[in-house]
Amino acid sequence: MPTKKEAAREARERPAAVAPVAEQAPGQQEASEIHPLRNPLFLAGASLYALDDESAGPEAAYGRELDADLDLLAEARSGLVRYFVSWRLLEPQVGQYDEEALGRLGALVASARERKMQSIVCFFADDRHAELSEVTWAQRRDPRTDGYLVQREAALVQRVVGRLRNDPGVLAWQLGNEAFLSRFESSEDLANWTATMREAIRELDPERPIGLGADPETLSRSTGVDARATLAACEFTVTHATSAYRAYAAEGPLTSGPATYLDAFLLRNAHRGRPVLMDEVGPHALDHSPAEEAAYLRTVLWSGLMNRAGGLMARRLRDMRTERREPYFLDPFETLVGIADADGAPKTAWAEMRRFAKTAARIDLSRFALIAERTAVVVPAERFSPLPSLAGLYDPRACLQSFIIAKQTHAPVTVIHETDAYDDLMVLVVPSAFHLLDETWERLAAFVQTGGTVLLSYGGGDAHPALRDLFGVEFLGDAGPRSELSCRVAQEDVLGAIESFDVRFEVPNHALLAPGTATVVATDATGSPLMTVNQVGQGRGVYVAVPFERAIAQGDPWATPEPVSHAVREVYGAVARAAGCGAPVRCSSPDVELALFQGDAEDVLIALNHRPEKLSAHLSMDRRVASVTDVRGGAAVAVGGTAFDITLEPNGVSTLRLAY
Amino acid sequence: MSPRARHVLLAEGLARQGHVAPAVEACYDALAHDASDPLVHALLSDLFLTGDFYDEAIRAASRAIELDAGCAPAYLSLGLAYDRRGGMWDQSVLVWHELAEVAPELVVAHVQLGEAFAAAAFEEEAIDAWRAALELDPHEARAMYNLAVAALKREGMATALPGFRKAGELDPSQDDFFFSLAGVYDDGTPAPDPANVAPGRDSRLAAAYALAFEEDFFAATGLIRLVLDEAADDAETLALAGYLYLKQEAVNEAMSVALRALAISTRTPTAVYVLGAAFAKRPGLNRNAVRVFGALAKAEPRLPMPHVLLAESLLGVQRYGQAKQSYQRALELDPTFVRARFGLAAVLLTEGEHALAHHEIRRAAYHDTRRQKLFWQVYDAYAEGRE
Repeated sequence: MPTKKEAAREARERPAAVAPVAEQAPGQQEASEIHPLRNPLFLAGASLYALDDESAGPEAAYGRELDADLDLLAEARSGLVRYFVSWRLLEPQVGQYDEEALGRLGALVASARERKMQSIVCFFADDRHAELSEVTWAQRRDPRTDGYLVQREAALVQRVVGRLRNDPGVLAWQLGNEAFLSRFESSEDLANWTATMREAIRELDPERPIGLGADPETLSRSTGVDARATLAACEFTVTHATSAYRAYAAEGPLTSGPATYLDAFLLRNAHRGRPVLMDEVGPHALDHSPAEEAAYLRTVLWSGLMNRAGGLMARRLRDMRTERREPYFLDPFETLVGIADADGAPKTAWAEMRRFAKTAARIDLSRFALIAERTAVVVPAERFSPLPSLAGLYDPRACLQSFIIAKQTHAPVTVIHETDAYDDLMVLVVPSAFHLLDETWERLAAFVQTGGTVLLSYGGGDAHPALRDLFGVEFLGDAGPRSELSCRVAQEDVLGAIESFDVRFEVPNHALLAPGTATVVATDATGSPLMTVNQVGQGRGVYVAVPFERAIAQGDPWATPEPVSHAVREVYGAVARAAGCGAPVRCSSPDVELALFQGDAEDVLIALNHRPEKLSAHLSMDRRVASVTDVRGGAAVAVGGTAFDITLEPNGVSTLRLAY
Repeated sequence: MSPRARHVLLAEGLARQGHVAPAVEACYDALAHDASDPLVHALLSDLFLTGDFYDEAIRAASRAIELDAGCAPAYLSLGLAYDRRGGMWDQSVLVWHELAEVAPELVVAHVQLGEAFAAAAFEEEAIDAWRAALELDPHEARAMYNLAVAALKREGMATALPGFRKAGELDPSQDDFFFSLAGVYDDGTPAPDPANVAPGRDSRLAAAYALAFEEDFFAATGLIRLVLDEAADDAETLALAGYLYLKQEAVNEAMSVALRALAISTRTPTAVYVLGAAFAKRPGLNRNAVRVFGALAKAEPRLPMPHVLLAESLLGVQRYGQAKQSYQRALELDPTFVRARFGLAAVLLTEGEHALAHHEIRRAAYHDTRRQKLFWQVYDAYAEGRE
């Protein structure tokens, strides 16, 4: 078809985001600037297990040449490596130490140091293959509680620490791993064992951090042992999304839905003002494609950086060379899947780790600080109640869901426990709790009086008498489960842009309320208040009459009716905004997690796509952005406004330097 | 064996009413009185399963089996807990094998056994298990869906599609959908005797629908004939006639009657359904089925079934991306829709997304087994056997 040829058309006006800037934007880095190999404040690495071959015996622990493995790690820009001390090898007879094995351990640490990697030395791990903590002379006594064995363990620890304490390559000492520690039967035993080991280390090494190799949440779930008090005495904490916990809290595909938020939730949950090491990161099973493994690792790596992790340790470097077994077989010991294959050839996950290290190295965490979280999801104390109370089973799921919803509003959010201090927080979210402690109600009342906001969703059972004063409603009873949920908006724009709806959505409880001093923002189909806002002192109490978070978590999290998801997101977002701690950067897609690192003249924004599909998102903020630069380098792109668009690949990440 | 103690009966009562938390407490009370009663452990296991607390369910069911190796409800709970938790296929295979021996007539044991085999990549054994399930119950839709998925993996969509359609026909939800379009719902009242139906179009048509609902096609046809004798241009009655033709595999007749009904009134959703279903039964007419079901999905956007029917037609013309969207829309409307889950799994398999497809099949099994509420059948039979 002939084309009409006239004067050349003027170029179509393109979105500001794609126009290159002629001049160097403020803060754009000089081309000659030398970037570090890795981010010194967020080190990533992998464990070097004692055995890489299932058919090898325990005596072969660290018996092979590891230079190639260390080279591979160094090439991935790893800053961390972990070794496991084999008690079995080091002390073959009581009090007789194998100096050669000790020397080998020292040489490994030195080799890592030469490659500019720091080592974490782990005592008393159970890898289920090398029998690291099973000494033949123990005569089946329990190394966790038997007084004699514990003393022998302390002696071993001192032997190793004495040997390695002067080596600057040792970053930290780790006591136990999840598999070993999960066989403690009481908190007291765990505390005593940890105290003994710590004392043994501290006698020789008063400086280096000591950590316990267990996640408090997953350990509590698997054993009922509450390790929080013990962990409080350690210098760093470890989080670990075990396969059992994943099956419990976020069953489903690794690269979409709740599973992509689980590691960040556990990280926030474990954070008590101490550095947190995300441990044993990686797929548990062999039924994922290399691309899925890489996408999952990418999500966790960036989640870690965006949620204040101190570092990250992939499960292992090499895949375990296994005995012949069925495909789709879940590794019961979680130690099979690495970032390189059994022959040491890098997998896509290895490349992902390298890419992460390279990009993260460009974010100077001494110049850019993550914006402070003023919103917190409160984990109720009842979470630690033993059976037959079901609160301990329902609450973690509701809290994870609440965390996800808060993330979807893009408000900076953290996780605290009911008994923690509420200092520095502006919004407390109490999701679907059955019961709070009496003193908590008093603290919540004081928190609201002084300007805080409490968002609480009904969890079932009788209401506390303090409900009336704090939330301005009269509790009339629990209407029980419903399979349909209706919402009628009574006051628009009080809790965001919620809309009326009628959907098929199962809720386990429904509080019947009579309005008191509270403003009824929405009701159910019968006129009973569904969402209320009560002004108390300088703050607000926001009450939701159904346990939305638990209902979403217990239902099908991938198929929550959109009107419900939208309403809950709106409420969370509006509450945070009204309290002055809403999203610093707004985003059109709830599936994009944002983290804003603030600097003096410019900021760094990380956007992570939690969906396995490509998406475009519209970002907006209050400040006028002059230009945007990819932190990896390249030309600055002029924005000249308060909004711009980004495109994210499936489970992809965008790291942008924003100049104002 | 002794009759059930008062504490056990209390726990049972609460569990049957769906009061999970009080029922769990009652189970613990019962165990405080007699910790060796396998019935209570089995009940506790099912309660944990209701809340998706798989590790707890596995512990309780395992304890029940330790106490009595013939405790069928505990095997059922244990197998379901293994399957829903995932990654424990070897144990799952053993449990379903055991249950198939303890309760050989339990169809779900064979279906689940097949799925456990398939998850562990034993495809041949899986197919044998599903065939065994279909021998026990030829109407077992999930076994047929699984066979269709197996065919898809081996030979592609063209071979698998008839299997999906066949499974869809076994699934009663498609007939329910037709009757819901006609505004006919099961209120428990039996269909009237055709001889006692009052003359008049409305009463005869209502009775014809009721008889068709109860699958008394011969009597329904007689009433339809009477209505059409008086008014041959009754679109709604023609649509019902088309449905009855479809049920008797007279596809051409169904098509022509539905077209006639739509020529009289385009606003007859039952006729649209019949026409689409007739097109879908002819492999060469999938393109037409896409148009018809597309229109139906637009007309009834809040019902999941039209989206699934549209998606299946789209599979027939190899428009997998659009089929995926339709399945996803159906699942947004009804996450428990087993047929949509299997269909979505099929699309995901064509895209090479094996892990996601496997997840959809597991969710289908999850919703299907929850819907069947088999536990109480097995539990009651076991409890009566003890007493």
